Amino acid sequence: MTDAAVPQQISGRGLGERLIDALLSGRGIWPAVPAIIVLMVVAVVPFVILLSLGFSNIVVSRGEIVSQTFSLAHLTNALTDPLYWTTFQRSLNLALTTTLLCLVFGYPVAYLFLVGGKWTKRAILILTIAPLLTSGIVRTYAWLVILGGRGVVNSTLMNLGLIDQPLRIMNTHWAVLIGMVQIHLPVMILPLIAVMSRHDSRLVEASANLGASRLATLRTIVLPLSVPGIGTGAALVFTLSYTTFVVPQLLGGGNYLNAATMIYEQVVFSLEWSKGSVSSLILMVTCLIVLVAIALVTNHFTRWTKGRDA
Amino acid sequence: MMHQHPRTASKVASSVPVLRIGAVGKQFGATKVLEKCSLDVDEGEIVTLLGPSGCGKTTLLRCIAGFLDADQGDVRIDGQDMGPIPVNRRPVGVVFQSYALFPHMTVARNVAYALKMQGIRGAEADRRVAGALATVSLQDFGDRYPSQLSGGQQQRVAIARVLVMEPRVLLLDEPFNALDAKLRSSMQVELRQLIKRLGLTAIFVTHDQEEALTMSDRIAIMRAGRIEQAAPPDEIFDYPATAYVADFIGTSNFWKASAAGGTVPLPDGQRRQTEHSGDVQIMARPHNLKLAEPEAGEWRGHVQFHRTIGALIEYHVETSDGVLLQVATMRQERAAPFDDGAAVSLHIIDPTYCAVYPAS
Amino acid sequence: MTALRKYSLGDIFGVGLIFAVGLFTLLLLVAPSIIVVIISFDTRAFVSFPPEGFTLRWYAEVFQQGELVEAMANSLQVGLTVTVLCILLGVPTALACARGRFKGTTALSVFVLVPHMVPGIVLGVAVLFAGALVGVSPSIWLQSISITVFILAVMVRTVQSRLVRLDPALEEAAANLRATPFQSLRTVTFPLLMPAILAGAVFTFVEGFDNLSVAIFTHGFRDRPLPVELLALVQYTSSPLVAAVSGVQIVLAIAALIAVSLSIGLDNVNE
Repeated sequence: MTDAAVPQQISGRGLGERLIDALLSGRGIWPAVPAIIVLMVVAVVPFVILLSLGFSNIVVSRGEIVSQTFSLAHLTNALTDPLYWTTFQRSLNLALTTTLLCLVFGYPVAYLFLVGGKWTKRAILILTIAPLLTSGIVRTYAWLVILGGRGVVNSTLMNLGLIDQPLRIMNTHWAVLIGMVQIHLPVMILPLIAVMSRHDSRLVEASANLGASRLATLRTIVLPLSVPGIGTGAALVFTLSYTTFVVPQLLGGGNYLNAATMIYEQVVFSLEWSKGSVSSLILMVTCLIVLVAIALVTNHFTRWTKGRDA
Repeated sequence: MMHQHPRTASKVASSVPVLRIGAVGKQFGATKVLEKCSLDVDEGEIVTLLGPSGCGKTTLLRCIAGFLDADQGDVRIDGQDMGPIPVNRRPVGVVFQSYALFPHMTVARNVAYALKMQGIRGAEADRRVAGALATVSLQDFGDRYPSQLSGGQQQRVAIARVLVMEPRVLLLDEPFNALDAKLRSSMQVELRQLIKRLGLTAIFVTHDQEEALTMSDRIAIMRAGRIEQAAPPDEIFDYPATAYVADFIGTSNFWKASAAGGTVPLPDGQRRQTEHSGDVQIMARPHNLKLAEPEAGEWRGHVQFHRTIGALIEYHVETSDGVLLQVATMRQERAAPFDDGAAVSLHIIDPTYCAVYPAS
Repeated sequence: MTALRKYSLGDIFGVGLIFAVGLFTLLLLVAPSIIVVIISFDTRAFVSFPPEGFTLRWYAEVFQQGELVEAMANSLQVGLTVTVLCILLGVPTALACARGRFKGTTALSVFVLVPHMVPGIVLGVAVLFAGALVGVSPSIWLQSISITVFILAVMVRTVQSRLVRLDPALEEAAANLRATPFQSLRTVTFPLLMPAILAGAVFTFVEGFDNLSVAIFTHGFRDRPLPVELLALVQYTSSPLVAAVSGVQIVLAIAALIAVSLSIGLDNVNE
């Protein structure tokens, strides 16, 4: 009589279903295990190997390592090679300038998003997301068309009679910088928009009600509240622009060397694996240092978000 | 109409309660959320778990439903230990605070869900879904989506959805929270009548004492993981077992006294019998006190503030030894007999109706 | 008087300047793509502006060039493989992160993010070297799995943030209504996660299709993906052929955008 109250288990369920039930019902780590294994094999182990290659002398023959011995030579070589210093310095400068310019040009868009109506917001979202769905090469190619010898800028200037000879814009630092900024703008704008759309619009009204001008509201309310978005955007833009090689390769001509193009040459053309490993590690570590710096600055300006969950 | 559970008849004959909660304990990390909670619920009874937030009432409900496993003690339904029974095979139906209606399914599919999961399809499923929807008067709403219904209608769908599987025990977790105040009281009456009409056994969780008083056959007052008192609403109100219960339900006046020789003196000169001795505290409800001219008694004070609430006048009186008391009297005439600042004497109407608790 | 007070001069110039820069930036975001599309219809065999005539010749040529078509097919395959792998690996991981009751759910979420934080070329180089050590040479499969590892975090986070916002009572209700964990997953959780999975799928597909930083080190010698092929094409030719390829990609991007906005709504993309 007593067990009749409990509904019977439905029969005829397959083994697979029972297995999934068992894996799910414990609310354990099991569902994530395949992903963990793949990440271990395809990310963690390769990183360890990269590390070991950077700190050893290897002899490669026919794409296979014949011998490997511990050595700091590649690291010390790299750190004393002026080419490394100038290359990384150039990359760092380029990436930091790009980040700053993306913020300068991107922030007004986010402000437009904040004050705009429903359709303005939609238009901005579409214009910002669409480029992210297009390949970086296609977007860089557009700048070849615009800045090239017979491109949009030169043709227009010549047709207007302002210049006789096409200006040489391509294959200069400026071409690279313009391309970098335009290509990474969406990556800066999206986090800014995200943080703006979480703003309580009544804060802006309250600020105006308390006598602040629109600029003062921007400076004292909107800007401080959007610091988390600025931090995220800056971190993303920096990482991408510091490690890209499409833009320097295409807009800088063959001789514009940044960290990424250097690694590409070391790994793919000259097959210097240890050098490539060391360069990759330096790239990763320097990138990490800047990211930590960005995070520290962001944290300093967002102390008001801390301790809320205490 | 819902069909009565086929096993009901045999159940009444035996003395096994439908639901027996036996010394259930539950810990989250170092905090004890439930401690030795015991409660028997009989066939057709509506019992409310009442207490402030964090008292463990929802945890206890979740232990019964099987969303949580009790660390100590057991939950039995019709005498059977629910410990080894997984959530999806316990004969309980839960109405969630948020209703948790599946937003991507129509009302009819929501109600049919439990049947489908048990492999019941076709004509029988259709008949039972129609029956459940008719029970909550939603027979014409089967094709709607939950988002197209009002809050009250959503609540009825949530109830129909569990009724369709004919649970032995209905568990309701603050089901009126999502409704606006006006709708709330009418839905309370309606829901109690529905549960009674179907003869269901139900456990109700709430922090609202008015809701508990309206809905329940018995109220279990919970505090810090323990059940302080489980009794019918009027008994809880008239004879609260602890000072905490007295304070939690209704308005209460406390003052200190000293008991000796089986009695305790009351400040107006009367005495009340008690089994306690030494320092005690005495509780009197506002309507067990009355005011008179200052010369009429030795327990003196003055009116600080008074207000008229419908047929009642509520006085806030400060006694001469500085205790603040509330006194409620029926209003006779248009004006209150005592104005703010007036000197008065206080009298206890029925000493046996005062409660005596050991001093805290 | 009050009209003057309403906006100060500083406000008019300052806010005006911000608006102007904002509009310029928005123009900057789209203008290059529009110019590329215009160029792709030019009749001349070299890139120049403004165009002289209208032709669909370059679009026809895109589909006649065997290497380009093959590269597109390869990238399509990589995109689909990456998407399928990301769904198979990412959705269960998101479930474990959001619903798990084990210690280290946070650590797991962070662990999944790490490969995405590392620069793509570093991951590419690392996978290339590690593969060489164990005798796995670059191939379309190595490329697919590497990009999967790189982009998995996006799928996990998209699905996880949806799961976190999903009322946990829905799954409890399913269990209470007799559903087994598998039935609950199939009938309640999955249908409600579908928009997030679709959005994640669009982004992982685009990454698989377009990724260059990881792909350039891991792609097969004979299975060149489109970005690698395009990079060479842009470097060594100057015909509007590339513009036509770009035109095709832009159309695909617009299609993807429409797919995303239909599945989850634009406002939810920005997670």
